[in-house]
Order: sequence, then structure tokens, then C-alpha cells
Amino acid sequence: METGAKLNVDRLNVFYGDNHAIIDASMKMPQYRVTALIGPSGCGKSTFIRCLNRMNDVIEECRVDGAVYLDGVDIYAKDTDVVQLRKRVGMVFQKPNPFPKSIYENIAYGPQVHGMKKGKELDEIVEMSLRQAALWEEVKDRLDDSAMGLSGGQQQRLCIARCLAINPEVVLMDEPCSALDPIATAKIEDLIDQLKKEYTVVIVTHNMQQAARVSDYTGYFYLGKLIEFGNTKQIFENPREESTENYITGRFG
Amino acid sequence: MRWWDFKEKSIKYILFIAAIFATITVIFIIGFLFAEGFPAFREVGIGTLVAGPEWVPTGVPERYGGLPLVIGTLLVTGGAVLICGPLGVACALFLSQIAPPRARFVLKPAVELLAAIPSVVYGFFGLSIMARWIKVAFDIPTGETWLNGSILLGIMALPTVVSVSEEALTAVPREFKEASLAVGANKWQTIRSIILPGALSGITAAIVLGLGRAIGETMAVMMATGNAPIIPKPVWNIFSPIRTITGTLGTEMGEVPLGSIHYHSLFALAVILFGVVIIINFIATWILGYIRKKQYGEAGKKGRFRVSLSHEVIRSIKRVLSYTLGFFLLTFLYFALGIIAVGGAILVYLTYRWVSPRLSRKRSQGIAFKALWASGIATIIILGVLLTFIIARGAPAISWDFLTKSPRDSGREGGIFPAIIGTLYLVAGAIGVALPIGIGAAIYLNEYAREGRITKLIRMGVDALNGTPSVVFGLFGMAFFVLYLQFGRSLIAGQLTLGLMILPTIVRTTEESLKFVPMTLREGSLALGATQWQTVRRVVLPPSLPGIITGSILAIGRAAGETAPIIFTAAVFITRFLPDSVFDPVMALPYHLFSLAVGVPNSETNAYGTAVVLLTVVLLINLGAIIIRSRYYRERL
Repeated sequence: METGAKLNVDRLNVFYGDNHAIIDASMKMPQYRVTALIGPSGCGKSTFIRCLNRMNDVIEECRVDGAVYLDGVDIYAKDTDVVQLRKRVGMVFQKPNPFPKSIYENIAYGPQVHGMKKGKELDEIVEMSLRQAALWEEVKDRLDDSAMGLSGGQQQRLCIARCLAINPEVVLMDEPCSALDPIATAKIEDLIDQLKKEYTVVIVTHNMQQAARVSDYTGYFYLGKLIEFGNTKQIFENPREESTENYITGRFG
Repeated sequence: MRWWDFKEKSIKYILFIAAIFATITVIFIIGFLFAEGFPAFREVGIGTLVAGPEWVPTGVPERYGGLPLVIGTLLVTGGAVLICGPLGVACALFLSQIAPPRARFVLKPAVELLAAIPSVVYGFFGLSIMARWIKVAFDIPTGETWLNGSILLGIMALPTVVSVSEEALTAVPREFKEASLAVGANKWQTIRSIILPGALSGITAAIVLGLGRAIGETMAVMMATGNAPIIPKPVWNIFSPIRTITGTLGTEMGEVPLGSIHYHSLFALAVILFGVVIIINFIATWILGYIRKKQYGEAGKKGRFRVSLSHEVIRSIKRVLSYTLGFFLLTFLYFALGIIAVGGAILVYLTYRWVSPRLSRKRSQGIAFKALWASGIATIIILGVLLTFIIARGAPAISWDFLTKSPRDSGREGGIFPAIIGTLYLVAGAIGVALPIGIGAAIYLNEYAREGRITKLIRMGVDALNGTPSVVFGLFGMAFFVLYLQFGRSLIAGQLTLGLMILPTIVRTTEESLKFVPMTLREGSLALGATQWQTVRRVVLPPSLPGIITGSILAIGRAAGETAPIIFTAAVFITRFLPDSVFDPVMALPYHLFSLAVGVPNSETNAYGTAVVLLTVVLLINLGAIIIRSRYYRERL
């Protein structure tokens, strides 16, 4: 791999109560590249991505074994500051989840909880994040309107902007387009292409064409196991595993 | 970083203390009631206190047989539930499913107003207006009867049933409704077979909460049931005067010599009442927990909303329901009331079973909808009648002097200024105590705690406190604040007692509205690296504020109108002075009304006037809060 591994997952196991949701998954996600995680529903890809910024901590009955190294440091170590971790590893969720606040407040929220006061600097961050998320032109005249009034696609770009505003190093996206129409999806995909210049991106997607279009690396999950991981081109054109080939050629899933 | 951690941790501990507060209070209440009741258990014996046939504490020899009081309590409460259960659920269905916006706009505030009307005003209405109607209508010697008490209690418990059921009905996911409509079910079929079962746990909770409200009610039954400690003859004679345990406590506690056997017997009765209520509540909580567990699955306890209405689930709901019914059946049968209640219910059910397959689904929808409309309209008429009669008779008494002068001639003349101020002090103090603790407890339970033994203990405490009858709070306040801490009959003793009483309302409503905030919002905030407390304060609390405000409205309304907890702790009938410190006793509107209505002959004008002022104060508090809430909604959404 031409650049160093930003995230290195080592023998990760996840349990929901008695359910073994992820079985011994290991992979390296390179810096400034887009890594896509694909697989049929229930294969564990969303669970996996939520391990990368410890969002699974929120779920009570969930237990995680193994290690995830961010720049060589295990985020599951005892002394990890989860709050700082999530500042470095941002996340965009499946369904757009803007706060019921104004557009401006949504973006400003992240910087504010990290101690930034209201003022010019914050205004600039808001504008820059919205520009990065390709939303600025559409909302610049109504920053004080409620974010709930935006369309689904706009809301999702708002959530991406909100994530970028805290200047993370890694952006996790959990099926960011699954609730969107094709036009909005195309916009988000363009955006992902832009993002990898500055961020390391991990995206879970249900849509194989999308994975092929946007990602550099692809991991294929099936029944909680990481079946195959590698260069996207290789995975799609010349998969090593039969299960991968079956999925990609649409024989199931 | 250290400072950050320290802050987060201390917040968590403070919230935990707030949460465990209710449990500690309950332990205190039980401890003090037992300590004061124990001599009576020893001298009189628990058998006599529960099942002795006669209650004559002033006779020679004194007799402390509690059976008439126990039966009286069961009969009045049972009657009330028969009224408020069906009417309340129908009203909630109407509101949540079929009411056009304009009808909602009228009915919803009407229900809130019914909830806001103080129990002493209901009692006053029952004593001076409804009792007369009943007397004339049925041509009986006195209208102060079991029937009178049950109707009043039914009306009083109605808002609880309506609002809790409505919430449960609205919470049934729209997808279910749409799925049912999409397969060609009509609206009534959808309501009956999808929405009602989906909201079953909430509706059960609503009725049990209504029952709790009714069983612990003191003032209304004390004033309206004639207060004779006799067992009706025959036992289903709804025109017999009757007396409840709460009524006995309210009537006799004020005049009993401290430390006498009579005094201890009253505390022993309070222990029994408390025990019964706690048992009912735990059974109810268990049922609810069981239904929820089956319905949402173990995994869905927190945050994730998973509902599957499989056959198995529906069957288990039915099973639980039949257990519940069985339990109530047994109770009622034991006390012979069952014959009417069950007979009636079976008759209605059989009629329904016989009629419903014979009607086209369109017809049955028509009939059902008409019944729901009728229940909505009936609720509004009840409120209308109540307000019209009291205001029409009380308005002539209202004058500037009435509001700003002290009472003269035992309250027949003069005004009620000290009572108005006293009530405001009491409410402000109670809210000041309960609001921070209650909200803190709810935040701890919903945002911080992992479900386990500790949360179970806390929830048990809150539930027990919520079910505790107001008169028991009064007794506890008297035993603990007034006598043990030697505050004497004082403003602060009343404020603290009222504060404890409204605490569970605030915890519950706050927790409910916190639950309403979608998990995805919390995740959105946490994923940005916000701390737990930042997430709570900035993302979770703002959208749940309207719910919290609504809860506080209910609490304020209750605190302002409550009489039983302050009779023995804070209130005096006449004082011409305002309290100089929190250790002075005060006058209070509800107690003043009670004293005039029951104890001062020829004071009707001023009694009605006091009722109008009390109503106005309470309704204004509510109106203000409703305005705040609706403005808040507009701003946010």
C-alpha cells in the first residue's frame, strides 16, 4: 500500500448478547483513500464501522474484543478518551439526523462543544464546512432556518458538513445514500471524491456500483466474517473468493 | 483533560443522588409510618384493623375495626374505574385517531383543565351541587353517597387515563397503521386490531394510574360520600353513604390527641393503605414490564424501537390481560361487587360479540366512531357543567376587597388575601424542591444509567412514591417534618411535603419526553466528540423541553390544589398575617375552601368565591404554561 495505514483493525470480535456479530475481522485502511465495506444485509458491516469510533459503546448489550489502531494507538485501550477519539474519527449516519436546530447551529455545534466561542472564526468554519459539503450555495441565505426544512439530500450533506466542521482525520459513512434519491446520491459521491484529498474515508454501502465508483479499497463481509479485502479494482474484476464473486455478480444479496 | 473528566463525573454523581432520592424518601415514609403505627398493631391487632366490623374510635369501649373503611375504599374506587376507564380510553382514541383538528383543539385543553381542577373543588362541587341532584333524582334521604363519590373520582381520574392512553396510542408507529390500511382494512378495523393492541401496555398503565389517583384521593371522597363508616346494605347499594380509609385519615387526624391509640391506629391504617397501593402498583409495573419485554424483545429496552406483532406476542398479551382481569375479578368477587361489574362487562362483551359479526364493517365503524365522538363531547360537557355552576355562584362574591382583605367572622365576611399568598408560597417552594431533583433523576435514569439493579431500585422508588396517596404524604410530613424535625406546623413543612408529592410526576414526564428524542440525535452528537453532558444539555434537553414543561404544569396544578398534604403540615384556617419566615404556618386556598364548606355554616357565598379564586389561580398557571409550550413548539419546528 502506497500510504501508511490510518486505521488498523486487528482480530475484531463483536457480540450482541449471545449473537456473534463480527468474527475475527482484520484489515488496514490506508490514509487519504476511500475504503468501502460491502455485503448483504445483516453481514455486520454497519456494526464493524461503528467499532471504528466506538459508537457501539452507546448500545448496552454490545461487547467488543480485539484492537483497532488509529495511527498505531489502540482505541480500545483502557485510557482512551472516547470524546477525543470521536473528534478525530467523525461519522455520518444512514438516515440524515440533523438536530432540530437551525442550519447554522447544526454546523456550529461540534466546534462549540469543543470549546469554540461564537464569533467570526466560527462563522468561517460554518461557511467552509458547508462549502466542502457542497451545500453552501443552496443554504447561504437561510442559515437561521430550521435544518428540518431541508430536503433529505440536503440534510445528509448538512450532516457531512457538521462532521467536517470538527476537522476530523477519518470520516466514517454508514450507508450515507441509502435514504436518498439518485441525484442527491450523485452529489454525495462527488463529495466523497473531494473528501479523500484531506480525509481518510470509510464507507459502508449496500450498492456495489457505488463501491466500485467511489472507493480505492473494498472489504466484503458475509455472515459476520470479512471474506475478502483488497484493491477495489481487483475485488470487482478478479475476486479471489467464490462468495465474493457470487455477491458481486448478483447471484445473491 | 482531567478537569473535563472531573466535571463529567461529578455531574453524573449529582444526577445519581437526585435519582436515588425518591427511593430514600420512600424508605423514610415507610419507616415513619411503621414507627407511628406499630403501637396500634400491637394493641389493637392487625386482624381487627383490616377486618374488624366496626370503627368507633370515640365510643366506650373504643373500637378500631377497619372493615367498613376497606370496603368503602374498594367500592368507591371500583366504581370510579368503571367510569373513567371506558370513557377515558374512548376519549383517547377519539383524540388520537379520528378527531378533526378543531375538536382536538377544544377537547385537549378541556382534559388538561379537568386535570388542573383541585380535588377540593371537586369535593365542594360534589358536596354542594351534585349531592343535591342525586338526592332529588333518586328520591333518597341524602345525596352524599357511594355513587356521588365514584362519579367524582371517575371524573378526577379521567384526565390521567386520557392523557396516558393518548400518548400510548400516538406512539404506535405510523408504518403499522399504513400497512393495515394498505391491505384494505378500514379505519375502525385498523384501530381495533392494530393500534389498540400496539398501545395495550400504555393503556393498561393509564388505567392503573387512574386507579392509583382514585384510591389515594382524600378531599373529594371526604366531602362527597357522607363519611359514614358503614358497609352498604346490601353491599351493592350505591345510594348508601360510605367512608374510605383516606377519608378517615383526613377527618380524624386533625383532632386526634398525639400519642393516643387512636393516633397510632390512624397511622396503622395509613400503613395498610400504603401497602395496598404499593402492591397494586408493583403488580401493574410487573404486567407492564412483562408486556414490554414480550413486545419489544430484550434488546429493545433502550433507544432502539423494535416492535413485532407476531401471533405469539399477541397471544402472550392476551394471556397477561386475562391474568390481570382474573386478578381484578377475584378482588371484586371477594367483595361481592363483582356481580354487577362482571355481569355488566360480560353483557357488553356478549352484545358486542353478537352484534359485531352481524354488522357490515362500515356500519360497525359508524357505530364505533359515534361512540368515540360521544365520549369526547361528554368530557367537554362535564367540564362545562362544573365550571358553569361554580363560577355562576361564586362570581358575585368576587370583589377587590375579597382579594385583598383578611377574613372576618370565621370567613363568612372579609377576604382571602392571606390564603392566596400562602398558596403561592407553598407552590413555589414545592416546585423549587421537586423540579431540580426530578429532572436530574430522569436524566440519570434515561441518559446515564445502564439498566440493572440500581435503576430497578430507583424506578421502584419513583413508582412507589407516585402511587403514594396524598394523605399519606400528609401523615408523613406531620410525623417527620412537623414533629420529628420540630419544624412545627409551618410553610416549609408544607413545601417539602408537597415537593415530595409532585416529584414522581416530574421524573416520569421528563423521562418520557427524553425517551422521545431519537437515538440518532444522541449518536450524531456523540460522533462529533461531544461529551455525555454536552449531548444531554444541548441536544437531548431542548427538544424534550415542551414535554418537561407539560409535566411541570401538571405538577404545579396538583401542588396548588392539594389539600390533604398540607392539612396537618402547614395550613391554618384563619390568620390575619402573612408568614414572616418559613417556620410560620400559612393559610391556603384549598384548605380555606374545605374549612368553609365543611365547618362554617352560612358561608356559601364566600366558599363559592374561594372556589372561583382557586380555580382561577390554577387555571392561570396552566394557561401560562400552555402558552409557553406552544410558543416553544412554534420556534423549534
